[in-house]
Amino acid sequence: MPRFTTVALVAGAALLVRRAVRSRMTTAPLWPMPALDEPVSGYGRGSTVPRKVLVTSRAEPADGVVELRLEGDGLPAWRPGAHIDLVLPSGLVRQYSLCGDPADPATYTVATRLIETGQGGRGGSREVHEQLHEGVEIEIRGPRNRFPLVDSPAYVFVAGGIGITPVLPMLRAAEAAGADWRLVYCGRSRATMPYLAEIEALGRAGDRVTVVAEDESGRPDLGFLADVPAGTPVYCCGPDGLMDAVTAALPDGVAPRLERFSAAATTGGTAFDVELRRTGRTVRVAADQSVLAAVREEVPGLMYSCRQGFCGTCRQRVLEGEIDHRDELLTDAERDDSMLICVSRCAGKRLVLDL
Amino acid sequence: MSNTQPAPVASEHVELKARKVSFDWAETPLHWVPGDPFTTHTINVLHLLLPAGERWFVHVYKQALPYITDDRLRADVIGFIGQEAVHSQAHDDVLPHLREQGLDPTPYTAQVDWFFEKLLGDRTLPPGRPRRWWLMERVAMIAAIEHYTAFLGNWVLNADELDRVGADPTMLDLLRWHGAEEVEHRSVAFELFTHLDGGYRRRARTWALAFSALVFLWQRGVRFFMENDPTLLDGKASFGQFVRKGRQGVLPSTPDMLRSIPRYLSRAYHPSQEGDTAQAMAYLASSPGANGGH
Repeated sequence: MPRFTTVALVAGAALLVRRAVRSRMTTAPLWPMPALDEPVSGYGRGSTVPRKVLVTSRAEPADGVVELRLEGDGLPAWRPGAHIDLVLPSGLVRQYSLCGDPADPATYTVATRLIETGQGGRGGSREVHEQLHEGVEIEIRGPRNRFPLVDSPAYVFVAGGIGITPVLPMLRAAEAAGADWRLVYCGRSRATMPYLAEIEALGRAGDRVTVVAEDESGRPDLGFLADVPAGTPVYCCGPDGLMDAVTAALPDGVAPRLERFSAAATTGGTAFDVELRRTGRTVRVAADQSVLAAVREEVPGLMYSCRQGFCGTCRQRVLEGEIDHRDELLTDAERDDSMLICVSRCAGKRLVLDL
Repeated sequence: MSNTQPAPVASEHVELKARKVSFDWAETPLHWVPGDPFTTHTINVLHLLLPAGERWFVHVYKQALPYITDDRLRADVIGFIGQEAVHSQAHDDVLPHLREQGLDPTPYTAQVDWFFEKLLGDRTLPPGRPRRWWLMERVAMIAAIEHYTAFLGNWVLNADELDRVGADPTMLDLLRWHGAEEVEHRSVAFELFTHLDGGYRRRARTWALAFSALVFLWQRGVRFFMENDPTLLDGKASFGQFVRKGRQGVLPSTPDMLRSIPRYLSRAYHPSQEGDTAQAMAYLASSPGANGGH
């Protein structure tokens, strides 16, 4: 008899629970689980989805320069100094700075100068000029920002030719913030220098812009850089020669912020040292070797998988040193203090890893 | 520790490596199994569970790595981690597409995030036995879940009925790429569990937990989708529909699912006895998404 009572009690309790749960579930299907306040899933990087944009207009802001407006859905926000990768129809991938308005959420603007093969061109700009017409759909990656505009009451900008593209949104932002800025804009001739009229109009009020066209006034005089106050950021984008000259003209201890668009090499580079802070050892990474390969010899059992910079398994924290990011995964914020050691390298002589 | 001698099938072992994938969702309709919202949403629940779930696998396995004393197994586990990380990203990237089509999954995924990150996350336990116990418990749960991911992977690779009814090719490719990698690495979770613990009682207990959690989360997910689908007036989900769709072949069949239970609980079980690595590798070699998205 006590058995029967137990069975009846359990069955009764089960029925009650079922009724209670079922009535709640019908009124609120997601009852009764707590949720994470800031959901993680569904707000990822989109790294497995190609981002397509449509070329909606094409203009020629200067001789030999083509400006493309690219429209797409849900384009990520960006800040002055950012660039995107264009995946060209042939599969070539080239980086171009965004030079439009960051407040326009549906359009990216890029400008490219045609560089002939004889002048060191590698075919990317020719493809942009010949194949990217209105109505063409292409894939882009990014944006990324390796050239961010820091907050400052004053700025110095030096741009050479097409190197004006990342600087242009910076000028607009600096002017809008009421900063004290000046720009030296050099080029071969005024006809080849894009956005000249807009820039001169921007700087007219404060006499901020110096235009140096080589056919009129020769090479720019960078002597004024020796007197730039220590805290003022100096931004430079242009040919290697110009960036080297700016670096040399600045006082010792003041480094310019540079944007270099070199060949996007995926393997190899120069040799450098990696210090493993917690292990207490330093390893040499050869020019044709990855950080991962070099470090694995010292630290067995290191995590990695794809070896191509997309899965994120080999991500390591970087304590010191300038990173040359070559992955396709990390966000700009993550790139500040971490790297994927399977592909990324060092932009200087030495990296310190938290390993 | 282990009181069983499960026999792996040697020919089924391959070196594991994450593959780069690309899936363009622009052309995928809301009901990607045409005219069949129930099947669509039953499979869509994967996109709700896997981003958080597979992130959790990676999180747990990173903690288990130092306990592994077998080099080949360590390499397998690392390959597994890389593949799971990409799976998680790929399914996560489907969710914004659902949101654009008027079916915001966030109320549900926020709960799944809580489930994996808080309920099954790291707990403040004293070092030593309690901490190791909780780690082993989770390693065993992953082994049980992977039994089902391999089951589903094997099913989707052979689900010709989905092609016949005209399911969206991009979604099918995502499912089959994922399914094939699940078949490819199906032994890793179980081998890790046997290597670190392997106790039969733990295996049975965590199977029961994982199975109940999967059923609970899955039925909730289907009901959530059916009720919030903007194109359905009175969307309902029922077990009867599941059985019928399983019989039709667009979902796994219920008898097959029931038969897989005693297989996992058998003392002679080893994942390599089920599924076909060669078939999985053949799919991966031809998958558009896993070969540059073309």
